[in-house]
Amino acid sequence: MASSNASNDFSLQGKGALVVGAEHSVGCAAAVTLAEAGARVVLASQEPGTDKRLKEVAKLVNAAGTKPVIRVQDAAMRADLSATADLAAKELGGLHILVNALDTPAYGPAEADDDTAFDKIMENNLKTVWMSCQEGGRVMLRQGGGVIVNITSVLAERGVPNAALYCAAKAAVLNLTRALALEWARKGIRVNAIEAGWLDDESSPANKDDEFSKTILKYLPYHRLVKPEELGGALLYLVSPGAGFVTGESIAVDGGLRARV
Amino acid sequence: MILDSLKLDGKVAIITGAGRGLGRAMALKLADAGADIVAAARTQSQLDETAEAVRKTGRKCLIVPTDVTVSAQVNALAAATVKQFGKIDILVNNAGGGDDSRVVQLPEITDDEWRRGIDTNLSSQFYGCRAVIPQMVKQKRGKIINIASGYGLRGGKHNFMYACAKGGTIQLTRSMALTYAQFNIQTNCIVPGVFPHDEATKQFFKGGKFIPVGRMGEDRELGPLAVFLASDASNHINGELIAIDGGGLAGGIAPTGVSPESSKQMAVEK
Repeated sequence: MASSNASNDFSLQGKGALVVGAEHSVGCAAAVTLAEAGARVVLASQEPGTDKRLKEVAKLVNAAGTKPVIRVQDAAMRADLSATADLAAKELGGLHILVNALDTPAYGPAEADDDTAFDKIMENNLKTVWMSCQEGGRVMLRQGGGVIVNITSVLAERGVPNAALYCAAKAAVLNLTRALALEWARKGIRVNAIEAGWLDDESSPANKDDEFSKTILKYLPYHRLVKPEELGGALLYLVSPGAGFVTGESIAVDGGLRARV
Repeated sequence: MILDSLKLDGKVAIITGAGRGLGRAMALKLADAGADIVAAARTQSQLDETAEAVRKTGRKCLIVPTDVTVSAQVNALAAATVKQFGKIDILVNNAGGGDDSRVVQLPEITDDEWRRGIDTNLSSQFYGCRAVIPQMVKQKRGKIINIASGYGLRGGKHNFMYACAKGGTIQLTRSMALTYAQFNIQTNCIVPGVFPHDEATKQFFKGGKFIPVGRMGEDRELGPLAVFLASDASNHINGELIAIDGGGLAGGIAPTGVSPESSKQMAVEK
């Protein structure tokens, strides 16, 4: 019996990938997936002071296939992102894949938020993504192509109480993805998004022993939260050469949450 | 390992409309990923060609000539699959079709034409889902992939039956997804952009110049997406639509793929 060739279509052998926000559960899982598929990876942080965590992530990535390069940075600083994109291109022999797993959950009543909250939440969840796309995109335009995946949330298309600004930022990332996809469509850069469902990780508000978490679980089609590694399939598909006609699209990994009323 | 989760070895996939175009391309790629294929379509000779290509990959191919607008035939397709392979892992509801370039005034559309358009593109997919669900529920696993269209999400001039049916496909997908999640059955939609199969379509879409990436799709490009949605790598993706359209839906047709300052010129050319 012939053996299946599925892995050929999705292999990332010879590709270089930069994961920004690699200290987060989703960024870590993304890096592991890319390494498993054969890519070489640069792990860049969202926030400084994450050296220890990035080393832990690096061990997982290394075990998955390839030894990563670690870059501790502040994704709110353009100079950091710019240097990281250049470093990644140099270390990886080209920046073929950029994954922005930039996310800082922010929950609280709207009436309590002041203008500093607005600036901070938008900076953490939107401006960082925007600048990372710009800086990664600049390198990709120079080299003649690449693929960007922005990780956002199903909250990009659904509201939830006590997270108005967070929802707004996530929606903005989704439409930022579409607009950049169109702008760079004829320059060889594909830009897509993944909308994560309610995640099972440390920063999730939905895995607590409280009424909110219980309600969410009841409402979810599979009655369970999404494991960060479950985003891996969608990520690998989107960055693979087989998805060459897919751009400006988003894939929700939410068990069907977004499909229901 | 992520790459292992994308393999379909030992899986059995039914593909309707497998005699040509996107259906054949998906059948071949699913076989390439390891699945045995049940190829359904109306035309025997086209199915024979698909089967020959599938068998070259080393997989089995069962041919079941089927008119998907006749529910008894779709039920027989599911039954033949279970009889031959003992299970149904994957259903790709692909058969259907519209005529984008045909302009018919609304008052001239007959009841029969309306029903035929809905039957070909929507009833056929409902029949397919209904036919495989008992077996998939019994297995407590299954993957259903419905082929929709950008016209299921956006309207088009003189596009009635096709747009309505494809919109129905999307809602069928969502309701299937929510109803059968409890049985570990995932139902999703592929939303193909422009994949031309004749000169008229190529001309209607002006060679793809209004598509953001500047070109139309090629049938083989649908294969990896079908494999992904048929595989364990997509087990928590359910009720979702994935567009493969060169950016079409992200912006909308006309003017897409052009920057605002050049859109005026584009409009003149059109």
